[in-house]
Amino acid sequence: MKSSKCHIMAIMLLIPFLMFANGQNEKKSNSKPTVITFGSHQSGLPSSGIVQEIAKEYEKETGIKIEFQIVPDAQWRDLLKVKLNAGEAPDIFCADADPFSLYDRIRPDINCVDVTNEEFTSRMDKSVLPGISYNGSVYGITFPGPKIWYYFYNKEIFNNLGLEAPTSYAEFKAVSQKIKDAGITPVYEALQNGWHQVLPLFETGPYYEELEPGLYDKLNNNKMNVRKLAKLEEIITQLNEFAQLGFYGDDFMSNSVEGDFEAIANGEAAMVLEGYGWGQQLMQDYPEMKGKLGFFVMPWGDNQTIGINPGSNAYFANKRSENAQAALDFFAYLAKPENLEKRLAGDPQALNICWPEASSKMPPEYSAYYDAHKKGNVMQYGVKYIDTQWMDVGQDLEAMYVGAMTPADVMDSISRRRDEQATIQKDPAWVK
Amino acid sequence: MNNNKIYPIYFTFGMLFIYSIFVFLPGLIGIFYSFTDWNSFSDELNFIGLENYKTILKGDPIYLFYIGNTVKFTLLTTIIKTLIGFVLALVMINKNVRFRNIHRTIIFSPQVLSFLIVGLIFRSILHPSKGFLNTTLEAMNLGFLAKNWLGSIDWAFFSVIAVDIWKGVGYIMVVLIAGLNSIPQIYHEVAQIDGAGFFRRIIHITIPLLMPSITVVTVLNITYGLRVFDSIYVLTNGGPGYATGVVNTAVFKEFSKGRFGLGTAMSSLLFLFILLISYFLIKGLNKKAVEY
Repeated sequence: MKSSKCHIMAIMLLIPFLMFANGQNEKKSNSKPTVITFGSHQSGLPSSGIVQEIAKEYEKETGIKIEFQIVPDAQWRDLLKVKLNAGEAPDIFCADADPFSLYDRIRPDINCVDVTNEEFTSRMDKSVLPGISYNGSVYGITFPGPKIWYYFYNKEIFNNLGLEAPTSYAEFKAVSQKIKDAGITPVYEALQNGWHQVLPLFETGPYYEELEPGLYDKLNNNKMNVRKLAKLEEIITQLNEFAQLGFYGDDFMSNSVEGDFEAIANGEAAMVLEGYGWGQQLMQDYPEMKGKLGFFVMPWGDNQTIGINPGSNAYFANKRSENAQAALDFFAYLAKPENLEKRLAGDPQALNICWPEASSKMPPEYSAYYDAHKKGNVMQYGVKYIDTQWMDVGQDLEAMYVGAMTPADVMDSISRRRDEQATIQKDPAWVK
Repeated sequence: MNNNKIYPIYFTFGMLFIYSIFVFLPGLIGIFYSFTDWNSFSDELNFIGLENYKTILKGDPIYLFYIGNTVKFTLLTTIIKTLIGFVLALVMINKNVRFRNIHRTIIFSPQVLSFLIVGLIFRSILHPSKGFLNTTLEAMNLGFLAKNWLGSIDWAFFSVIAVDIWKGVGYIMVVLIAGLNSIPQIYHEVAQIDGAGFFRRIIHITIPLLMPSITVVTVLNITYGLRVFDSIYVLTNGGPGYATGVVNTAVFKEFSKGRFGLGTAMSSLLFLFILLISYFLIKGLNKKAVEY
């Protein structure tokens, strides 16, 4: 009896091994379908899911599966760098791209496939190429049009309280106070994503440049320390004042950016800083908001200049991946004229894309407002070592809001990190 | 068990070889790199002596703050997990408790959950206005106890510790149950006849005889606590601000900035610290173990 039990146990133990061996043989006989891994942060792909839809169509046509790995915004930049450094990056990865931080962020020369001579590269808007190029070679494919951030506001709340869209910091503060007194959160702020709180600091870059012409060049050549940028410190101080006055509400430390649609539509909050296509998405999701949404330039530090960011997120094919060619084929598929139109139509937040052949969805009032204001490139696009520390500055601001740092400390941190990054990269303007 | 039975030393060679190649050698290589300026922007490797260690210990005070947080996290989680685990183990070996195995399974189950899932669940539970915890407190007219659990500098660290304890205490309980079951019942019976109460028996019989298990859980808790990363990464990402940052979140940050040399210096410090503390802990606690 004992011996037969032993035999039964031995056979049971052998079963998984036999199954595994059988599986191995099967794998050998049937070639595996290609699966391309696509890593991105939440904001790297349209929230409508249109890229995933196009990918499914691609799979139907070619049998090649695109496996999306989407990571929270707050973690993606660090995670991507660690994965690239460890040689474990996905076949395609999404990264924020601008001329000064591309090298620092993804080392395109060693990590990305050169797409300079691909057919699709010649069709992209020339203005976006610097953001995805390094040493004269193009390394990525990008779709979003230039990014602009406005404060959107609920006109109904403003009308009920007899308020006008503010054009200076004093007006912004007064408007917020009245909204708060009415029991509504004046500004929806969200720190969970880690990046949103940083926008007022650097999107107002063209205004700094306007006040001090040649500022970007001075900062890039280390002729001036960012610590001396008084307007930047003034804006950081104003942001802190807003937090201390309760203008962001009670939950802003735990809020996520994605929650702003509901907060504005339900009237819980009156204003939110968002990309200029955001309003279209809101009106699609909440049709009752049609005609109730206004917008204005962020008035921090009395700014009235529109900041334009020609760079945005871009997709890169991993040079070390065995699926590099398959990734390029997928890029070519995404860039087909009909798929560009499909992408634009399927993403309510995109008013245009950086492909001149694709049509624009820009509403006339947006164009008129845009034309009526001064504009310039944002600081993270024009100044070195700013975009790479975006999430760190986000943490600094968080620390400031909870009282662990002062605006002066935040300025010192920004300056120190610029010096560190320049030194480690042996920037000739820093390292003599 | 026959304590006199000695196996030949070469039985350990295979395991020692694998351990040396995959665990010990990378640690030593890491120590070597910690004396260099290894980074992601250059293929050159220059020896810079103790520069990275100076940056950690004398440079930006944030590194010392992270070391302090790591020690605080380790001490608090070790003590609280061991105490709660011990109490739960005592309850769960009591034959009067009905459905003991179901209770044990429920208490142990968080251990098998991925920290990513735990992080998502608790970030939702601990949301200040919409989270389950605060809305429940409000519903019970205990709104004054509601806090901004993960967004407040005063509470974030303790919230992370609480979640970590919730997740890990079941494992400690299981180890201690095994230890308690190995204590012969006769000691308790004799002490009871001699008039010893419950607490006297716990202090004079249970704890001394449980020392080998307590040693194991203490070493496990301490080495886990010093290496903590995932629970903090998914719950607060080191925030608010830098309030919940620990050594390993800083190492991750340095690696993401491409400063590998500095990152490995921090890892090396942690490696040496864990090595020393584990050695003295095992030595010290084993002295207190009672043979029976």
